[in-house]
Amino acid sequence: MPRPEQKIIKLTIDGREVEAVEGSMLVDAAKAADVEIPYFCYEPKLGQPVGACRMCLVEIEGIPKLQTSCSTPVRDGMVVNTQAARVKDAQNSIVEFLLVNHPLDCPVCDKGGECPLQDITFGWGKGRSRVIEPKRHFVKPLALSPLIAIDRERCILCYRCVRFSQEIAEDWQLIFTERGSHTFVGTHDGHPYVAPFSGNIIELCPVGALTSQPYRFRARPWDIEGAGGICTLCPSQCNVEFTVRDDKVLRVLSRENPAVDDGWLCDKGRFAYQSIHVDERITTPLLRDESGELRPVPWDDALRAAGAIAEHRGRAAALVGGQATNEEAFLLGRIVREGLESRDIDSRLSPAVRPGDATVELDLARALAAPALQATVADLEFAHTVLVVGTEPLDDSPILDLRIRKGVRRHGVQLLIATERPSALDPNAAFSVRYAPRRGAAFLADLDGALAGGAASPEAAQLANLLRGGGEEVVILWGEALGAEALPALLSVADRLGLAGRAGAGLLEVPSGANGRGIREAGALPNAGPGYSEVTAGRSAAEIATAAAAGDVTALYLFQVDPVRELPGRGTWERALARAELVVAHAAVLTEGIAAHATVVFPAESHAEKEGTIVHPDGRVQRLRSAIKRPNHVRAGWQVLTDIARAVGVDLHVLTAGMAFRRLVEAVPFYEGLTLEAIGGRGVRWPETDAASALPAARTSPPTPPAPAAPLAAPSNGRLHAGVYRSIWASPEVDVSPSLQFTVAEQLVELSPQDAAALGIEHGAPVQVAQNGTRLSGRAAIRTGVPAGTLFLAAGIARDSANALTDDVVEVAKG
Amino acid sequence: MTQPLLFDRIDEPGLNTLPVYERRGGYGALRKALAMPPEAIIEEIKQSAIRGRGGAGFQMGMKASFLPKGEMAKYLVCNADESEPGTFKDRELMQKSPHTLIEGMIITTYATGIHHAFIYIRGEYQLQADILDAAVAEAEAAGYLGENILGSGHSLRLVVHRGAGAYICGEETGLLDSLEGKRGNPRLKPPFPAIEGLYHGPTLVNNVETLGTVPTIINMGGAEYAKIGAPGSTGTKLISVSGDVQRPGNYEIELGTSSREIIYGLCGGPKPGRTVKMWFPGGSSSPVLLEQDLDLAYDFDTLAKAGSMLGSGAIIVVDDSHSAFEVMQKVVKFYAHESCGKCVPCREGTNWTHKFLARIASGEATPMDLDILASVQTQIIGNCLCVLGDAMAMPVGSIVAKFRDELEAEIEAARERANAMPAVETEHLVAIGAH
Amino acid sequence: MSAIDRRPPVRRYEHGSRVPGWDDAVDLTKPPATVPDPATTPVPEELRRAIEAEMAKYPDARSASIPALHLAQRHHGWCSPEAIQQVACVMRLTPAYLTSVASFYDMFALQPKPRHDVYVCTNISCSLLGADEFYDAMCHAAEGHGDIGVRGFECLGACDIGPMASVNGEYVGPLDLDDARLIVEDIEAGRPVLEHKQLRRRAVADAHGRVEGFDGIAPVGQEDAVAGSPVSGPVNPEETP
Ligand SMILES: Cc1cc2nc3c(=O)[nH]c(=O)nc-3n(C[C@H](O)[C@H](O)[C@H](O)COP(=O)(O)O)c2cc1C
Ligand code: SF4
Ligand code: FES
Repeated sequence: MPRPEQKIIKLTIDGREVEAVEGSMLVDAAKAADVEIPYFCYEPKLGQPVGACRMCLVEIEGIPKLQTSCSTPVRDGMVVNTQAARVKDAQNSIVEFLLVNHPLDCPVCDKGGECPLQDITFGWGKGRSRVIEPKRHFVKPLALSPLIAIDRERCILCYRCVRFSQEIAEDWQLIFTERGSHTFVGTHDGHPYVAPFSGNIIELCPVGALTSQPYRFRARPWDIEGAGGICTLCPSQCNVEFTVRDDKVLRVLSRENPAVDDGWLCDKGRFAYQSIHVDERITTPLLRDESGELRPVPWDDALRAAGAIAEHRGRAAALVGGQATNEEAFLLGRIVREGLESRDIDSRLSPAVRPGDATVELDLARALAAPALQATVADLEFAHTVLVVGTEPLDDSPILDLRIRKGVRRHGVQLLIATERPSALDPNAAFSVRYAPRRGAAFLADLDGALAGGAASPEAAQLANLLRGGGEEVVILWGEALGAEALPALLSVADRLGLAGRAGAGLLEVPSGANGRGIREAGALPNAGPGYSEVTAGRSAAEIATAAAAGDVTALYLFQVDPVRELPGRGTWERALARAELVVAHAAVLTEGIAAHATVVFPAESHAEKEGTIVHPDGRVQRLRSAIKRPNHVRAGWQVLTDIARAVGVDLHVLTAGMAFRRLVEAVPFYEGLTLEAIGGRGVRWPETDAASALPAARTSPPTPPAPAAPLAAPSNGRLHAGVYRSIWASPEVDVSPSLQFTVAEQLVELSPQDAAALGIEHGAPVQVAQNGTRLSGRAAIRTGVPAGTLFLAAGIARDSANALTDDVVEVAKG
Repeated sequence: MTQPLLFDRIDEPGLNTLPVYERRGGYGALRKALAMPPEAIIEEIKQSAIRGRGGAGFQMGMKASFLPKGEMAKYLVCNADESEPGTFKDRELMQKSPHTLIEGMIITTYATGIHHAFIYIRGEYQLQADILDAAVAEAEAAGYLGENILGSGHSLRLVVHRGAGAYICGEETGLLDSLEGKRGNPRLKPPFPAIEGLYHGPTLVNNVETLGTVPTIINMGGAEYAKIGAPGSTGTKLISVSGDVQRPGNYEIELGTSSREIIYGLCGGPKPGRTVKMWFPGGSSSPVLLEQDLDLAYDFDTLAKAGSMLGSGAIIVVDDSHSAFEVMQKVVKFYAHESCGKCVPCREGTNWTHKFLARIASGEATPMDLDILASVQTQIIGNCLCVLGDAMAMPVGSIVAKFRDELEAEIEAARERANAMPAVETEHLVAIGAH
Repeated sequence: MSAIDRRPPVRRYEHGSRVPGWDDAVDLTKPPATVPDPATTPVPEELRRAIEAEMAKYPDARSASIPALHLAQRHHGWCSPEAIQQVACVMRLTPAYLTSVASFYDMFALQPKPRHDVYVCTNISCSLLGADEFYDAMCHAAEGHGDIGVRGFECLGACDIGPMASVNGEYVGPLDLDDARLIVEDIEAGRPVLEHKQLRRRAVADAHGRVEGFDGIAPVGQEDAVAGSPVSGPVNPEETP
């Protein structure tokens, strides 16, 4: 649905004429005119106003009763009085009523000092109480989940938390039970409120009823500071505010940026900050000694050891993990290409891509990055149709899950889903299709054929019809996990739908790494330099693994990535790392592959410490700023890289983070004119800038996609096609965050009810998944919607990860 | 009373079944209506000037004409929640002549172009819901409901929906939420149901009696109907009389009849030797009136002018053997129990008032506290999301105002009692209802 | 002494709820209660069909949540977590949603309840005529009868027969104190309750309405046409397959 047009009208508030957008709520119009109307339940992010707290009553000329300004749209010529005696009386009354049952335990309340109830009581209350009736008194605080404590005495039943659960996250787990003054916030039958976005309710609660378990009693509002930052734990790149005390991050809040996150955070982003201050964090350089142990060493020793990579000229390779900044990726690219005279650098690191997946051709990469084809996050909300293909937003880019739901709920977006694994968005979709695991490319080719009017499977034909009839503005949200093979068909589909250059339409990628897009633009690809410039092509990640395992590559530079944990072909990677003579790693915690194989480990900065830029999947260049001092001996990534560069004989001309940024901008033509100031707290979408035309155009028109592959043969009994998923919780940061221990991802083997029944496997029972002598243990999760004959395995997890498997067909048994 | 319209021989055996209803001329109004253009029916209803019988007294014809015209998903909802204390008139009509209501609903949907209708009946009325279900089945079988009713091209699906016990589901928007399968919390107005109601579609909500009168209006003609009753309060009204009267029950009266005639004439007044101490003219939500008000004409405008309201037409008579405090306690307990809890002044105000009375009862209040009690009521009135809060605050306010002396004496007496028994632990919080 | 001084001490805080739940933390070992997966949530076939039939009546199936809860309560005897789970599974809702709905309405029991329901109206009209005394008598009479649950109820819409009660949905009144014992006896004997005092047999008060030979509402095909209706009388959970 196209965005509504905005009309400006005039109204009078307290005798002053003010302007406002027609249809906006009176309370907002008043705020814009510097007239503060108090309120509790109103929160536009939560959708339609509920008018429950009655705090915002005002007098409107011509209407006998006082009206709730939170639910009254402004009209031209409206005359409003917020200062009338009866308005004051009403405000006094509501405050008094709210305190009838409120415990007034502000001195021991976490919210004290940043509490709307306190502020409004002070500003609009009578200042004395006539209530001597006994108040409700209850046991408190109680656990609502491992992350959230609830203090029911303090609750003012404002509806915010339950509306979030029901209307934003749509998990419908948090509810009001009972009625009248007995109403309380709870869940079904004592189940915890555990859901990917549950933490938002803490921020929404206008009193101290919902508090963060990890933050409780850690600080008072007057001894903390807020520092703006960006969460780089996934490609959503939500804008956050770190609550900092004594150079420690104590809390993460949302820093609302409607173009990015709509003001919400997932629980990983909200709580995995704990990984910054845990004992597991690497805070000094480590070097492997003769006995094979990694030991802390002074920086000089570590740098000297890593500098020895100069001896591997022509035989060194680098991988850049998703948390790298553009600058880090750019500097590392120069080290590899100029210093090490190697061409082997890659950053396409999807756990779901098959080992041996080809490099994306430069032309395709350019075509996909073309400004005319880029959709924005907000487009997901206002498009006529959104097609999600080859990604599960909830796991891969959680905040987009909320945005897509919002589009469907509020703007009637037609949602279409084509994935191998059942999606959390299926219930919201007009149509969902499943293709066989790792057959995304074949499916897209099929869809492309259908759009071309050729023969196609019935599913593809139906999807094509819905796309064709689904309005002009179509956004395709696609996952990097589809693999390079799928991209010609994807571009062709976009071309057939005429998405290029159409406002509100386009493609939006979900890369595997948080800064996947920026890293590529900075040149960390085997076949593209900074700004998708042409270079002589080198090896892709999978090829690097094979080459290293074969001894053709002898040194590996792993920038914030552990291939043993993250990448497909775990066996090959283990052999590669074991055989390499030198493995240099940047890491924040010691994951398996690093612990076992790294020669040198540099402590990596957290996202609260880094300075630099990253690029959102929709092309928005965002800025990381250090919110806290780096702990101990941690040095900035750009600084370490400059030192290494020097060791390999390259002078990068970088003495500060700002200089690193300027070197990057010089190298990437379409970043021209970008400054850190302009990026500021909200970011700048480079595809919207004048420099965008500097992106080299793809030379060819959309390439012809390959013919759809024949359908997979049904494997015989006990053997199933395996697909791979990466849970939102599968991340080393989660693994070490104390309060997230309950949700650390493990091997949940998702099975269809049919196969589970045939194999006699029960929900939750232990199972064994085997293939060519490799064996994984996990627990069965029977899931309606998993197509019979397939199963899904978790990747990116610390133990029993699916990346140990090499083949698409596995055997499952009770175990 | 000239001529009973709804209660005429309502006890006729078998009237709840279709054959008897038809034998008495039932569904004749429907046939007549189907031959008229829909607008003409609305016009008749407007001319009848019939005011809603559910409580608010809004003109039905006006409300129906607010509905947008044309084909779209629109709904008719019959409010059969009948939970206002003292009210039981809809029960008698639905139970003894369900087809009267069904016929009225079919005519109304034909007039408004509605094809989906619901009867939301309170869950406790199990017998009545069963009777309605059976009657709907009969009407479907006879072609009065379903596709192309009697060849008119009009079609209607009618569903009897049972509630599960919550007074607030009588409030029309609470009812709609409940009918949508949610908690029965009232909605913000505007938008009014006629614009955006059930499933976001335009929705006409009317009381059982209102809809049940439609066949009569069609049969008589609106203008003729308007001649009955008092100016501004046309027609007859079913009233429920209960409490301290000798012949409690449902009566059909012409609006404008004297209240004394109803309470003493029809219902025999209080037991011999007792006098009327106060009476609620329109359910427990209406401000109380006194013995001296008995000569008021029983119609919408007269009662409003006297500071009360006709409401649902439920007269509750309290004789002089009861204390005003006892009456107030019952009223307050009810509203505190039934407040949905959505908006602050109603939830906390009813609850506070309830605790307040408990404090009075335990001898811990002083007469001065009555001022606070009264001001709490004014703080509720007009500030709530719906009028349930007002529905407690208005009668309570009226009792405090009209029986101040008695209440002060009661407070003093309670204090005496409490002081005489200092060792007794007093219970502050009387559980609200047993749930 | 001032008035304030004479006042007995007021307890500032008191546990103030009639309902369990307020003081309960969640059980952190339980999984989150999401929409039940049909593959792992068995639902009795008869219950499923009945719920689906209700869902089919409405333009939006969610409207069937109250009828479905009535059905589940009848099947399980109360709205147990299991009952709610089953309704949630059929309706594709979360159990929490249904718990929230069920707890709003007086007729749903979220705690195990006795098989027979006796609702005694204690609202104003009935109480003017002695309902509170009758309620006490009823509680007393039901003592020792674990299968009879007596509840004080708000106005049941039958003040004309006050004081009155609804016994398993059958309205009876006006009641005197002796009737409490008779009600218990009738329930235990499986007989119709207080037949001569049933509302269904009562003539209208209005003289115009009365007709010679009125003998109450006939059993209106209750047994056939509406046998499947959700709330017509108690059903023994064991009797329903
Ligand atoms: C708290 C509350 C309870 C109500 N209960 C009922 C009721 O039980 N039955 C009813 O018909 N109207 C009830 N009403 C009035 C309805 O909101 C609505 O005005 C009425 O159903 C409209 O029908 P009418 O115009 O035919 O009277 C109630 C209103 C409020 C505020
Ligand atoms: S817990 Fe907080 S957010 Fe939720 S209803 Fe209570 S006051 Fe509002
Ligand atoms: S903010 Fe308007 S009613 Fe709560």
